Formats: sequence, C-alpha cells, structure tokens
Amino acid sequence: MFQLSYLLLLLTIYMAVSIGVRGRYAKYFVVLSGITIFFFVVLNNMTMSNFEYGSLSILTLSFQLNFVSSILLSLVAFIGIFIPLRFRSSTGFFIMLQFLMFSLTGLFTTRDFIVFYIFWEMVLIPSFFVIGIWGGKNKNYAAMKFFIYTHIGSVFMLLGIFTMYFAEGASNFSMATLIPGMSSMPQTYQSFVIFGFLFAFLIKMPSVPLHSWVPDAYVEAPYEGTVFISALLSKMGAFGLLIIFTPIYLSSSFAGGSAVPIILIVLGIFSLIYSALVALYQNDMKQMMSYTSIGHMSFITLAVGGFLYLMNSNPLASQLLYYGAVFQLLSHGIIIALIFSLIGTMENSTGTRNIASLGGLARKLPALSFLILASFLASIAIPGFSGFVGEISILLGAYAVLKYYLIFVLIGVVLTASYHVFALQKTIFGPYNEYLGDITSRRADLYSSIFPLALVFLLGIYPALIFHIFNIHVLQFLGGIH
Amino acid sequence: MMDASIILTFLIFALPLVGFPFVIGIGFIRKNYSMYLGTALIGVSFIIAAYVFFAYTLKGVTVQYSFNWLPGLPAVIPLGVYGDHLSMIMVLMVSFVSFLIILFSVGYMKEDPNRHVFFGEMVLFAASMLGLVLSSSLLMIFIFWELVGLMSYTLIGFWYYKPNAASAAKKAFIVTRVGDVFFIAGIGAAILYSSGSALSVTGLASIHLVWQKTIVSLLLFGGAIGKSAQFPLHVWIPDAMEGPTTVSALIHAATMVTAGVYLVARTYTIFTPVSLGVVLYIGVITIILSGLIGIVVNDIKRILAYSTISQIGYMVAALGLGLGATSIGLSIYQLEAHAFFKALLFLAAGSILHAILNVRDINKMGGLWKKMPITVTGMFIGALALSGFPFTAGFFSKDSIISASFGHSLFVWALLAIGGFLTSLYSFRMFFRVAVGKPRSDAAEHAHESGLIMLIPIGILAAFALIFGLFQGGFYSFLGGSPASLTSLDIIPVVLMLGGLGIGYYAYGRESSIPKRVAQGARDAYLFVKNKFYIDTLFTNVIAERAVLGLSAATDGFERRVLGGLINLSGDVFENSGSFLRKIQTGFAREYAMIIIIGLILALLLLRILLFAGVIH
Repeated sequence: MFQLSYLLLLLTIYMAVSIGVRGRYAKYFVVLSGITIFFFVVLNNMTMSNFEYGSLSILTLSFQLNFVSSILLSLVAFIGIFIPLRFRSSTGFFIMLQFLMFSLTGLFTTRDFIVFYIFWEMVLIPSFFVIGIWGGKNKNYAAMKFFIYTHIGSVFMLLGIFTMYFAEGASNFSMATLIPGMSSMPQTYQSFVIFGFLFAFLIKMPSVPLHSWVPDAYVEAPYEGTVFISALLSKMGAFGLLIIFTPIYLSSSFAGGSAVPIILIVLGIFSLIYSALVALYQNDMKQMMSYTSIGHMSFITLAVGGFLYLMNSNPLASQLLYYGAVFQLLSHGIIIALIFSLIGTMENSTGTRNIASLGGLARKLPALSFLILASFLASIAIPGFSGFVGEISILLGAYAVLKYYLIFVLIGVVLTASYHVFALQKTIFGPYNEYLGDITSRRADLYSSIFPLALVFLLGIYPALIFHIFNIHVLQFLGGIH
Repeated sequence: MMDASIILTFLIFALPLVGFPFVIGIGFIRKNYSMYLGTALIGVSFIIAAYVFFAYTLKGVTVQYSFNWLPGLPAVIPLGVYGDHLSMIMVLMVSFVSFLIILFSVGYMKEDPNRHVFFGEMVLFAASMLGLVLSSSLLMIFIFWELVGLMSYTLIGFWYYKPNAASAAKKAFIVTRVGDVFFIAGIGAAILYSSGSALSVTGLASIHLVWQKTIVSLLLFGGAIGKSAQFPLHVWIPDAMEGPTTVSALIHAATMVTAGVYLVARTYTIFTPVSLGVVLYIGVITIILSGLIGIVVNDIKRILAYSTISQIGYMVAALGLGLGATSIGLSIYQLEAHAFFKALLFLAAGSILHAILNVRDINKMGGLWKKMPITVTGMFIGALALSGFPFTAGFFSKDSIISASFGHSLFVWALLAIGGFLTSLYSFRMFFRVAVGKPRSDAAEHAHESGLIMLIPIGILAAFALIFGLFQGGFYSFLGGSPASLTSLDIIPVVLMLGGLGIGYYAYGRESSIPKRVAQGARDAYLFVKNKFYIDTLFTNVIAERAVLGLSAATDGFERRVLGGLINLSGDVFENSGSFLRKIQTGFAREYAMIIIIGLILALLLLRILLFAGVIH
C-alpha cells in the first residue's frame, strides 16, 4: 500500500529534484505534488488510517489520515493544481509552494505535538517570503505583521504543549498519550493549555479580534499568494479547532461546561457581523474579499462552539454542525481561491480593483462578469453552489444551540449578502465606466477558472460526493475522534 | 422502485432545469434558436404536467418519492417530489402561464441582443418554480426558493446597464434575503422540534406542542412575507418593475411572488390561531396600504405592482381566516385567478410599452383603445377581472374571500370590502388614463398594434380571466374545501366595486380637475400616500444608509484606528525599547563589566525581596 511515509518522502524528493534542476520545472512539480497527494488520499480511503513508524526518543512518528485531513489534503491538492494552471509565476514562487504543500501535508496528518508544531512553523516560511518578496507596496510591513502575529499564537501553543508534557509526566509528545491525560492535570494548567491552543488556532482561523494580520497579508500578497494563504492557511486554524482542540477540550475536566463553547459561539457570531460590516465599507475589492474570508471561517468557529455546547444532547444538530463545518472547509477553500483569482484577472484587465473606478464590466467582459457573479453567488451560499451546503447545515444545526439568538447570525448572513450584491452592482452592473477604455481579459485565465467553478457546482449539487470518495461516515468519524 | 408517475413528475421540472444551459448555449450559434428551444421546453413541461394531472392526480394518486440528500449523515435530509392536489394544481397553472408568457417574450424580446441569456434565465426560473411547488421537503422548497429569488435578481437586472435596474435588482435581492433568513430559521426550528421528521412536508404534523408550532409557522411566514411582498417587506416589487415586462408578468405577478402563499398553504397544518392572526392582519394591512398607494402612482407597471401586492394580500388574508382546507381553497383559487388576470394585465401593458417606446407614465398615454384595440380590450378584461366585476374570475375569487371573512369579524370584512373598492378605483384609473381620451404624447400618438405572437397569449389569458369562474366549485372541492355560498350581504362588495369603477370614470375617464383638487384639498394625506407611507424612506434612507452604513463606517474606523493602532503601537514599543537598549552595547569591556556587576546586585536584591516576601524559601 502507498503509505504516508512515502508521501512525505516523495514530496521531499520532488522538492530536491525541483531545486536540483534550478527550479526549471518547478511549476510541473507543483502539479505533480498535487496529483500525488490526491491519489494518496483516494487510495487510502479506509476509515481513519493510522500509520506508526516508531519513535525518535521523545518524538513519535505517528500519522493519521482521518476525515478532516482527507478533505484538507484534497484541498491542498486542488490548490497545487489550480495555481500553476492559472498563474504564470516565477520559479521561486513554485518552489515555495512545493515547500508549503509539503508542510501542510505533514501538518494535517501528524499525531505528535512536536512534529505538529514544527510543521505549523514551517508553513510560515513560504508564506512570509511570498508576501515579502512578491508583495505589493506595503509588503515588508505586511510580511512582518503576518509573521509576528501568527508566531505569537504559536508560542502559546508551544507553551501549552510543554505544560501538558511536564504536568502529565508523559514519556513522549504523542497526541495519543497527551490528550487523554488532560484531566490528570490541575485545573489551572488545563485552562492554560486550552487557552494556548485556542489562541493559536483563533489567530490562524482568523477570528475577530485576532484577525488584524489578514487584511494586510491578503491585500499585499501577490494574487497567487493570496489564493493559497486564504485557501490553505486559514484551514490550519480550523483543522486545529476540529481535530486538535476538540479532543483536548473533551478530555479535559471542562468538558460538558458551557464557558468555552459560548466563547467560541460568541466569537463566531461577532466575527461574522464584524467582518460583514467592515467589508461593506471597503472600496478595494481585494480587501473586501479578505473580510469575506473571515466571515466564511466564522461559521466554522460557530459550528465548533455549537458542537461542543450540544455534545450528545441533540445528536442531529451536532451532526449538522460538524458536517457543515467540515464541508465549509472544503467549499470555502475552493470558492475563495476562485474569487481571488478572478479579482486578479479583473485587475489585470482594468488596471484597478477599486470599486469606485469600475462599473458595467458586463458590457466589455461578459465572460469574466459571469464568472465573478457566479463566484459571488457561491460565496453568499446560493443553492447549487457548494457554499450553500456548508452554510445551511451550520445554520440549521445552530438553531438548536442559539434559538432566538440565531437572529444575530441571520443579520450577519443578510449583511454578507448585502455587500456582495452591492459590490456586484457597482462593478459588473450599472453603466459602463468609459474611463476604462477598451479592455479585454486573458482567455486562459478565464478557462482555468472554470475548473474550480465546476468543482463548486458539483459539490453544491451533489454534496454526498465527498462521502463516496472518502467512503466515510461522519458519525463513525465522530466516534473515533479521540 | 421508481414508478412512471414519479419519473414524469420529476421531469416536469428536471427537463427545463437540465435544459437551460442548452438554451443559452444554442444561442451562441443563433440567438433565435434559444427562443424556440426555451419555449419548447416549457411547453413540454406543461404537457407532462397536464398528463400527470389527468392521469394520476385526478384519479386520486399522490405522487410521492424522496431520497436522502446526504447519505453519509445519519440525519435524513429528504429531497424528492410530492404531487398532491395542491401542488399539482399549482404546477398546472405555473407551467401554463409560464408557457404563455415565454411565448409572448418571443415577440417582445426579439430585438434584444442578449435574448439567449434572457430565455435561458426564464427557463431556469420556470424550472425552479415548478421544482419549488413539487418539493417534498422544506429544505428542497428552500433550495428552489433561493433559485427563483436568484433568477428574479438576474432578470430584474437583465438590462444591467440601466442604473435603476441594477439598483432595483440589488434591493429585491436584499429585501427578499431578509425574509429568506427567517425561512432558514424556520427550517432549523422544525428540525429541532420534531427531531428532523418535519423536514418532509408530510411529516409536519410531528411537531406537537402549540408554542413550537407557533414559532415554526411564524418563522416560515417571515419567509413568505419577503417573497410574497407583504407589509413591511413589500418595498422591492415596485422597483423590480425595471426589468423587462415579461419578467414582471411571470415572476412578479403570476408565479414567484405567490410562492409565499403556496408555502403557507403547504405547511398549513402547523399554523396555530396565534400565527393565523398574524397572517390575517399582515394580509389586511397590506391590502389597504398598497391599494391606497396604487391610486396615486403614475407608472403603469408600478400601479400593477401595487395591485399585485394588494391581491396577494387577499390570498394571505384568506389563509389567515383559519378555515382549514376551505382557506387553502379560497387562497389558491384567488392565486390562480390572479395569475391569469394579472399576467394578462402585464402582458397588455408590455404590448403597450412595446408600442410606445417604453414610456411608462400613464399621463403620457391616452386614447390607445383606438390605436391598439386587441391589446387594450385585453387590458379592459383584465381590469374588470382584477376589480372583481360580477362573473369575471376576480369576482368569484375575491368576493368569496370577502364573504368568508364575515364569519371571522365585521372589522376584517369591512377592510377587505374597502380593499375591493380601492382595487376597482386604481384599476379603472389606470385603464381610463391609458385607453380613452386624447393621446397625451407623441409616442402614444404613433402607437400601433403588436404582432400576432404577442396577441395570442393575451387572448388566451383574457379568455381565462373571463371563464375561470366556471371552475370555482370544482376547484374548492378538489382542494377539500367547502366555502359557504354567497348571501345577500355579498351585494355590498359588488356595490363598492361598481362605485370604484364609477368614480374612476368620473375622475379619470374624461377631462376633469377632480384628482388635482382632491390632492390639493387633502395635501398632507396625499403626500403621505404619495411617499408610500415613508416605508421605503425608512428602509433605504434610515436603516440602510444611516444605521447600517453608519455602523459599518464606525466599525471600519475601529478596525483601522483602534485595532490597527494598538497593534502598531505594540510593535513600536518593542522597536523603541530595542533602540533604547542598544545604547548600552558600547563595545567597551569595562562598561560591560560594570553592567554585569549592576545586574548581579539587582539579582541578589530581587532574591532577598522574594525571600522576605516568602515567595521562595
């Protein structure tokens, strides 16, 4: 069988060869890595594959391919195929991308805290360089802010890991030993561990008020960088919440309490409304969409909070929430990648991404306008697009948690729809802005956008597809999460 | 095993749903092909619907099939078709009216450069509407509910280069979205209170407690208010008139706006007395408000739009009467009668606008009866039916509702009857301004009759508007209702209606200064109505522009200044402390030794202090 050790090894070899030939074929190696990862995921579609490779003193080499990591690895594969298809970037960028894909593959599969932390930090390196080297006007500021901000989060996570290790007196850093031992620690330590992990994951999510790195990083990064940062890096936080934080919390002595779930729920709702309000005021399309990304991810925060709040009291709602969160991971990754690449095409064609200087693009660029319209509709969760499945599952499940407080989420949903429609009205509809002159868009860009759009459609119409590919039942997965 | 009836029922909406990309695609070869393909698809849908209706529904077969949308989840999310009497009679009407209107569009849109897109969107709309009606679960209704809303958005903004159209499309989308989120909450509540089984339309009865039923029904009705343009979310329809007239006829008169009424009828079992009271009074308020506004508006399409709002008010009020199956019968009969005569009025208006270069102000029309006799006769029949002239469709549908409301309370009965008076007043104001007198503009002077392909649908709909009353008794019993027969009291609404007609003629059918004098005499009241009771102002200027945009600006300021400022400040603190501490790196060994000694002393002092304080032992 094609095992995980081979996957990481293969990705390393690709990287070595790619650097060895001076990055001449880096673009193709990225695609190759993407395809390899996807095939690996599909071939290992059994339930919860566990791979143990012994240990190096206190580090254990233990990997797991669960439901969430399967989906996230598919997303990594998607980005690995989409970016080379859509963008013509320098070889350096593609080598960075290879490195990023390698780190994420490790991150999403490892079952050892120290290895997890190492991969967590490794992801920062390519993102930092991509923003810092190929970024826009303010790139140094954005890159430093991004790096330091997320690094502060990681420090608390590391402290949390060490707290668990020393306070439990464990012999290694394996998640399998550290997580179940949570409740053996004093309560202050437990709360510190929970705080540390939550802090790191919420920064990465990003959740308001820990989101300040997002607008700068997304806006200053080149479009190809924005695509992978928005599609993949935010998933690290969500993955952490779903796969690392949830079990930690459930095995701590706080499990069953309502404080932490309520914090998560409130943060989720607050992020949704806050990001929508700020986005409504933006004039820069790229900046507006970076807040959209925050809004989408806030549904996941909300769903995890709701899931932890309900526990087993309402299995139906818990399932809807968890399922919705996982589906939202995948769908947000594809949709936001599509949106940023389309805005990139738009900026290339018109020379601006300022909403006030656009208008009536449907007349000159009908194909691009159609694609932008479709991606925006996917973003506001219109049925038929994948965004709908995740969002509706979370909203329906959230009713059981929130009851009439759901009104706040619904306000957020309406505000989100409003600024999307507002932006559409000002950019692609309305009278044509004659100052733009006679513009065209690159055909290849448009064709390559059909790929993610087709995926979004497919998942939206037939969401059960991911179950068929991964042959996994959510409940089975929920049972085996620890 | 799938039965032929199930496959056929699926095909009613699946055929146009799958076919719509081809309708657009074939337009890239030749644009006229999309018109023919689109019309043919809806025509075939209608034929299948008619076949299913006569072969199964009339024989008492309820077509029913569900599958699980998310098989990986233990929770069953059913999707499928449910064709009972209610849904099949809706399907029959929706596919028939859609077919006629799309046929009319072949003439109406024949010169538009983007007509292939138009027909594609119309076909997708019809498919979604048919799907909505045939859905077997609340979630599937919601899916199609959103799709019809989306198509309404794109079709209102079809002439996207007009700023008004782009803005109206936005408004329609956001306002209906407000209703939609209540629908979502309603589905969530239904799932919670029934452990999931109420998702299916047949399982609604599994919500047992009254307060739970009230919550679910009110939330669902919130969705209906948005979609069916009831007070206070009625503000989007008048603006939506910026779209092509055929769109207004199909979406904003005959089908989509009645989806809310259908939803309430479909989920009628969970409506408790409390929620029925809300439904009733929302309907009544809507009838009166929009009827009043209809009298002072000058745009022919907006008059029809307010009339639509008011007529849907009757459907909603009929449901609110709480007479069980009789309420559903009254309401759906009014829905279908309204679909025929309002589609007729819109198509006639479309034919007129086509002839007079899209001038929509009724003050610029006049004398068109002579210029376009068939169209304006169609409009006359439509106006008669709309105002409920005896023995037209509107008479049977509306007066039955007014009559049934007498058993509820005199107050409601009186308001509904006054609504009838307002209806006939604004209908005939519009009709007389359009049809008689002298042409009041060049465009009206040179109007000419439209082509045959536009007149055929008008003729058929006019025939239905006249004879639909014949089906009344059968219709009610088909839906299981049995309204009381008309009594002598029911002469009063007819008298009021004739009064409206008479005043309409007296004030608008000839040269007269009465309207002007009334407007000046009751100036405040006139302005209050003319400004649409300031509801639009409240939503647009106060809530959207002041409150939401203001809050958004404040949040953005907080984001930039406070949050961004704090982060930059913390960055600066570290940077400055770095540059301060850098000064001690002088490079002289003696100074380093000095610092080491100072540090040692400080450390020892700290140790002493900590020992005294008892922190360390």
